[in-house]
Amino acid sequence: MTTPDPDRLSELGKKLDKIQTRQEQGARRAPPSQSNIAFRFATELVASLIVGGGLGWGIDWLFGHFGFHTRPAFLILFFVLGAAAGIRNVMRAATEINAEIAKPRSDKENGS
Amino acid sequence: MNLNPMEQFAIKPVLIQDPLFHIAGHPIYFTNQALLMVIVAVASALFLTFAVKPNRLVPTRGQSMAEMSYEFVANMIHTATGQDGLKFFPFVFTLFIFVLCSNFFGMVPGSFTVTSQIAVTLALACLVVGMVIVVGFMKHGIGFLKLFVPHAPWYLLVLLIPIEVISFLTRPISLSVRLFANMLAGHTMLAVFAGFVVSLGTAGGIFMGVALAPLLLIVAIMLLELLVAFLQAYVFAILTCIYLNEALHLHDHH
Repeated sequence: MTTPDPDRLSELGKKLDKIQTRQEQGARRAPPSQSNIAFRFATELVASLIVGGGLGWGIDWLFGHFGFHTRPAFLILFFVLGAAAGIRNVMRAATEINAEIAKPRSDKENGS
Repeated sequence: MNLNPMEQFAIKPVLIQDPLFHIAGHPIYFTNQALLMVIVAVASALFLTFAVKPNRLVPTRGQSMAEMSYEFVANMIHTATGQDGLKFFPFVFTLFIFVLCSNFFGMVPGSFTVTSQIAVTLALACLVVGMVIVVGFMKHGIGFLKLFVPHAPWYLLVLLIPIEVISFLTRPISLSVRLFANMLAGHTMLAVFAGFVVSLGTAGGIFMGVALAPLLLIVAIMLLELLVAFLQAYVFAILTCIYLNEALHLHDHH
């Protein structure tokens, strides 16, 4: 093997550095697409309603077993709470997405 | 010919037609879903083991794929949870690779998409949330329950704690439904357009030429579906990281 030419080596090093910085800037996570965001919000909302309603229905069922006829009361209450939780989830998802978009483009700054 | 677009999601026994064993009187079959899961698990394990075997300084294609996926997941965990989240690397990596390979194996025409079954995705999501709960209680003891208590005056807490609990219980559902619905919708769409090609093609005359349009569209959708397959695996893994982060650090990131 011949000894490498130092000039060419440093040139190569510079080229590699340039590619690396470009990759770090360019290949960063693109913000999630509109349809993805919309789909995420929709699932959060619907899932919360299902969980809330299911929980209320389950509590009613449990009480019914012990002879308390609360049938629609907890279902209604927890359905409303589920809707509230859904909106809470959507807001949380929105802040997450905002933070992701606004995040400075380097892991080293906010990492560890 | 069967043109039902939902036909592809049917679960039926393969290889062995008799039930393997019974659980509480229910017959347990070796289904096409189980077969695909075995194939995915074995293929990904074999690939990742043998791809890094040569361990060259200048990696082969396989080795560089394995290394890139390793770095990708490690980076993702590091940005989402910080240094102490890296303990969960094996867990998140396994999940990510399993979901990713299931999605990609499902893209092979004629095969079966494991992740288009809510039973599978819900089981995976429950595993994630169960893991989060176990980690949270191990790290913080009973203090983990503070996750459900936001900063608010006490009279609002009466209302807010149930809301937070419901919002936590929503996670397995939204996590599993997102993956399952995306795969189901994509594969149904492909099958519907494939149905157009067949029915237009058999209609004869001028319709034969028109059949080319959905055929070209299928190619485009196929590419889109490859993107979705990767994206959904990524979303599943990153949400796992976010949930783990909450269990590890409770409120202190606010």
